[in-house]
Amino acid sequence: MQGASTGIVYGGLKYQARCIADVRADPDHTSFLAGTLSLKEENEVHLIRLSPSGNELLCEGLFYHQNEIWDLKSCPYDSRILSTVYTSGETYGASVWKIPEISSQSNSPQLDQLVSLDDHTAKIKSVLWWPLGKHDKLVTIDERNIFVWSIDSSNKIAKVISQESVGMLHNLSGGAWDPHDRNAVAAICDSSLQCWDLRTMKNANAIEHAHIRDVDYNPKKQHILATAEDEFGIRLWDLRMPKIPLKELPGHSHWTWAVRHNPEYDGLILSAGTDSTVNLWQVSVGSEDPAIDSPRDKRSRQIDPLLNSYTDYEDSIYGIAWSSQDPSVFASLSYDGRVVVESVKPYIQRK
Amino acid sequence: MAGVSSPPPMDEKAKRTRDLLASFYTNTSNSNSAAPSSPSAASNLTPRSPSSLDSINSPSFDASSYMSLLVQKSNLEGLLQKHVQMAAEIKNLDTDLQMLVYENYNKFISATDTIKRMKSNILGMETNMEQLLAKITSVQSKSDSVNTSLFEKREHIEKLHRSRNLLRKVQFIYDLPSRLNKCIKAEAYADAVRFFTGAKPIFEAYGDSSFQECKRASEEAINTVIQNLQEKLYSDSEPIEARAEAVVLLKQLNFPVDNLKTSLLEKLEDCLLKLEDESKDVSVGEISKTFRAYLIIFPDSEQRLIELAQGLFSRRYDAVRYQLKKRMLSVDLLELLGIIWEDVTTVDQVLPEAALPAYSLESTCSSIRQHISIAFSHLQHEISDAVAGSQSKSNEGRDELDLHIVLENSKKAAMQGSLDLLVELRQFFDEKLELLPKLRELITDWVQEGFQEFFQNLEKHFILLSGSRTNNCPLGESNHSGVLTQSPDKLPTGLVLVLSQLAVFIEQSVIPKITEEIAASFSGGGVRVYEYGPAFIPGEICRLFRSAGEKLLHLYINMKTRKISVVSKKRFTTPNWIKHKEPREVHMFVDILLQELEGVKIEVKQILPCGVIKRHRNSDSVGSGSTNSSRSHPNAMREDKLTRSNTQRARSQFLESHLAKLFEQKMEIFTKVEYTQESVISTVIKLCLKSLQEFVRLQTLNRSGYQQIQLDMEFLKAPLKQLVDDDDAAIDFLLKEVNNAAHERCLDPILLEAPILDKLISAKLVKNKDLSASPL
Repeated sequence: MQGASTGIVYGGLKYQARCIADVRADPDHTSFLAGTLSLKEENEVHLIRLSPSGNELLCEGLFYHQNEIWDLKSCPYDSRILSTVYTSGETYGASVWKIPEISSQSNSPQLDQLVSLDDHTAKIKSVLWWPLGKHDKLVTIDERNIFVWSIDSSNKIAKVISQESVGMLHNLSGGAWDPHDRNAVAAICDSSLQCWDLRTMKNANAIEHAHIRDVDYNPKKQHILATAEDEFGIRLWDLRMPKIPLKELPGHSHWTWAVRHNPEYDGLILSAGTDSTVNLWQVSVGSEDPAIDSPRDKRSRQIDPLLNSYTDYEDSIYGIAWSSQDPSVFASLSYDGRVVVESVKPYIQRK
Repeated sequence: MAGVSSPPPMDEKAKRTRDLLASFYTNTSNSNSAAPSSPSAASNLTPRSPSSLDSINSPSFDASSYMSLLVQKSNLEGLLQKHVQMAAEIKNLDTDLQMLVYENYNKFISATDTIKRMKSNILGMETNMEQLLAKITSVQSKSDSVNTSLFEKREHIEKLHRSRNLLRKVQFIYDLPSRLNKCIKAEAYADAVRFFTGAKPIFEAYGDSSFQECKRASEEAINTVIQNLQEKLYSDSEPIEARAEAVVLLKQLNFPVDNLKTSLLEKLEDCLLKLEDESKDVSVGEISKTFRAYLIIFPDSEQRLIELAQGLFSRRYDAVRYQLKKRMLSVDLLELLGIIWEDVTTVDQVLPEAALPAYSLESTCSSIRQHISIAFSHLQHEISDAVAGSQSKSNEGRDELDLHIVLENSKKAAMQGSLDLLVELRQFFDEKLELLPKLRELITDWVQEGFQEFFQNLEKHFILLSGSRTNNCPLGESNHSGVLTQSPDKLPTGLVLVLSQLAVFIEQSVIPKITEEIAASFSGGGVRVYEYGPAFIPGEICRLFRSAGEKLLHLYINMKTRKISVVSKKRFTTPNWIKHKEPREVHMFVDILLQELEGVKIEVKQILPCGVIKRHRNSDSVGSGSTNSSRSHPNAMREDKLTRSNTQRARSQFLESHLAKLFEQKMEIFTKVEYTQESVISTVIKLCLKSLQEFVRLQTLNRSGYQQIQLDMEFLKAPLKQLVDDDDAAIDFLLKEVNNAAHERCLDPILLEAPILDKLISAKLVKNKDLSASPL
C-alpha cells in the first residue's frame, strides 16, 4: 500500500463487498457490520470493532449468510439485530437477523433469522430502520413498491401494514427514512426523489429531474438532505424548496455512489465514489448562514468545501458509514473487500 | 518738632500749618478743652502713651513723657538746640495766627459795605415796572382790533383761492381725455398713467354725475393706453426696460398683471416645448434672453423660470437617456452632451439660481454611466450572439454546425469587441468638452468597473448558456439580474466546448490585452471608495475564466459521458442477464457507443488544439507502462487457466486478482483534463468504460451474458484505440476491467473461444462496412 495511509485497515473480508453499516445500538464500542457480495461462495457478515486503543480493527464475529448481500442495516436499538437484502441468482429476499450469542464453541455460526420479509413481488432494494431509535416499524423498498412492516422481533412476527405501488413507470432503487419525522421516507426513483408520507402512503413531495444514487437526511436539521447523483455530484436540498438545490458539490470524478452526513458535526459530509476515493466535505447550510453573509463569508465561500480526499483505495467504494459512537470516525468499504477506518479529527479541528 | 533730628522741609511746614488751622477751627466749634494745643500747653497735657511721643499733633501726645524721654536721650547741647528750635516755631505760629485774624476782619468789613450799597439801589425799580405793564396791555388790545377788522377779508380770499383750485382741477379733468390722447400720441404712457391715476379719485366720486362724459372719454383713452402697454409688453422687439416699465404702469392701473405674467410664461413654456420638438428653430440664446427679460419684467417670476429651465433641461437629458437605450456611439453622445452643456452655460448666466450646472453635471454623469453600461451589455450581447446566434442559424439551415468557425467568430467578437469598446470610450477623454475633465476619474472608474462587471457577467452568462444550471441554480448564486434573461435552450454540446475554449481565450489573450489598454488610458481613477477594492482586477477575472473554462470543459465531458451512460444503462438494465442467450453477434449498442465517441472526436477536433502526442507517455506517467506489461501477464495466466479448467474456483480467482492488483501500479484513470483533443477524448472514453464496468457489477450474468460482454469489449478494443492515440494502456486496462467485472458477476464464467470470437467480430466488421457502403 502507499505510504501516506492513515487509516486502519481490516482485511478480513475475503470477498467483494458493498455494504457496511454502523452498529448504532452498541454504546460502548465503535462497531461496524459488513456484508460480502460473492456470487458463488457462501457470504459472510462481519462484526468489526475498533479496538479500545483505536489503532486496530478486530473481528468480533463472523456469521455465514447464504446469499450475496446487497443491502445491510443494523437495527438502531438492538445491536444484535440486523437486516439484509440479498439475491441469489434470480431469487431475492430480505430478512431480519439476530446475531447469536457469541460463544466460544463455534467460530462462524449462522445468523438466527428472526423474520423474513418476503411479500415482495419485485426485486428488493433496501430495508430501512427508523434511524434514531426504537420504532416498531420497518420500511422496505423494492423496485415497484414501498412496504411498511410492523415488526415484533421478540415474537418473530412481521406484518405488512401498508403497501403502495409506485407504478410500472418508476423504478425504485433505494431510500432513506427521515430521522425528524417517523412518517416521512425519501425513496429514490428513476428520475426523481419521492418523499412518501407513511400515514397516507402517498407521494407528498418530490425532487424532480434528479438521477440519484443515494440520499441521506441531515440528522441535525429537518428538511435538509443530501443526494448523490451521476450528473451533479452531491447536492443539498431543502425539501421545502424542492426546485432548487441549496448547494452543489462537485462530487467525484466518476459516479458519486454514497453520501452520508456526520451524525454529530453539522455540515460535515462524507461521500464515496466509483473513482476509488472517499471525499470529506464541509458545507454550511441553514438559516444562520445568511447572517454572516459578509465579505468575510464571501472569502470563505471560495475556500474549497472539499476538506480531504482519501485516495488510498484499490477499487470503487460503495459503502461508507460514520460511527455514531465516535462521530469523528468513519468506515469505508471498497469493492475489493477492504474496510478502512479513518479519523477525521484533523479536519474538524481545522474548522 | 516731630523728629528729634532732621529739620522739616518747606511743604511739610505748610501742611502742618494747614492741619493746625483745621484743628483749631474744629476744636473751637466742638469743645474748648483742646484749645490750648499750643506748644506752650504741651507741658500741661497728661502723659498717656509712650508710643505717641513723637506725634506732637496727636491728641494722645503726652508732653511730660516726651519731655522726660527727651531729657533722657539728649545731652545738654541737644536740649539747648531743641529749646532754640522750639522757641522759633512758637514764634512762627504766633505770627501766623495774627495774620489769619487780620484777613478775616478785612473780609467782614467789605461785606458790610456791599450790603449797604444794595439797599440803596433797589428802591427805584418798582415804578419802572408798572410803566412797562401798561404799555404791553395797550399793544395787545390794538392787535386784537386789527385782527377782527381784517378777518372777513381774509375769509373771502381763502374761499376764492379754493374755488380757483377747484376750477383748475375741473379744468384738468375736462382736459384729461385730450391730454391723454396727446400722451398716447407721444407715447408718454407714464405721464398718461400719472394723470389718470391723479384723476381717478374724482372719477370715482363724481364719475356717475358731473364728469360722466369726461370719465368715459378718459377711460377710453386709458384703455388705449393699456392696450398699447400690453402690446408693448408682448412684443419681443421692444427694449426690455420699456417692457418692464409697461408692466409697472399696468400695475399702477390696477391691471391684473399676474394673468399677463402667467400667459407670457405659458407662451414661453410652449416655446420651450417647441424647441424640443422641432429641435432648432429657436436657439437657446434667445431663450436665455427671454429668461433675462422676464426676470427683469417680473422680478417675482424667478421661481417659475427656474422651474421652467430645470424642466427644459431635465426633458433634454431624458431625451438623451432615451436615445441611449439604443446603442449609440460615444461621439454622438458626446456631441449631444456638449450641445446641452453649452445651452446650460448660456442659461446659467441668466439664471444662476437654478443650479443648472450641478444638475447638468449630475445628468451627464448618469448619462455617461448609462452609456458605458449599455455599451458593455451590448458587447455581451454581441459575444453571446456570436456563440448562440450561430446555433439558431445552423438550426435553420440544417447544416452541420461548423464549430471551428463559431469559435473563431466568438473569439473575434470578444477580442475586437472589447478593444473597440475601449477605443470608443477613450473618446470621452479626447473630447474637449468642458465638463469632462471633472469626470475623468469617475469615467475611469466606471470603465474599469464596467469591464469587471462585464467579464463577471460574461462568465455567468457562459455558465448559464451552457445550461448546467438553467433550472436548478443553487440559491446562493441565483440568477444575477445582469445576466441575460433569455432562457437558453440547452446548447448543443459542441458549443459548450466552444464556450470553454472561449473562456480560455478570454483568460489568456483578451484580459491581458484589456489590462494593458486600461493601464494605458484608463489608469488612475480611484475616486470611488476603495472598500470594494480597485475597480478592475484582472487577476480575479482571469481566475474566474480559468475556472469557468475548466468547468465548461468538464461539463462538456460530463454531458457526453452522460449521454453515453444513458445508452449503456439501457443496455445493461433491460435484458435479463441470467437468461441471456448465446451471443450471436456484437451488440448494437457498441455501434451507438462508437458513434457517440466519433461525434465527440469530430467536435473536439474542430475546437481544441492538437496536443503533443505523448508516445513516451509510459515513461513519464506513473503506472501505465508497468500496468501494461505486468497486467497482461496475470490475465493471460488467468485465461490459460480458464480454458484449461472450467472448475477453477472463484475464490482463488478472487485472491488471484487481488494478487495481480498488488503487483500492478494503480492505474490513473482520472487524470487532469487538458485542453487538447487527445485529453478530452480519452477522458470521455475512460469515463465511459468505467461506467460500463460499474454497470456490469450491478448485474448477475450467466455464461452467455458474460460471453456477450466479452465479445462486445473485444470488438471495442480496436476502434477505441484508434480514437485514443496515446493511451492504449489505459484502454486495455479498462476494457479488461469490464471483463473482470463480468467475470466476477458471472455464475459460470467461461470465455468464448478465440476462433468464435474472431469470427463474430469479423462478421460485425463486414456488416458495418456493408452498412457504410450501402447508402453511397
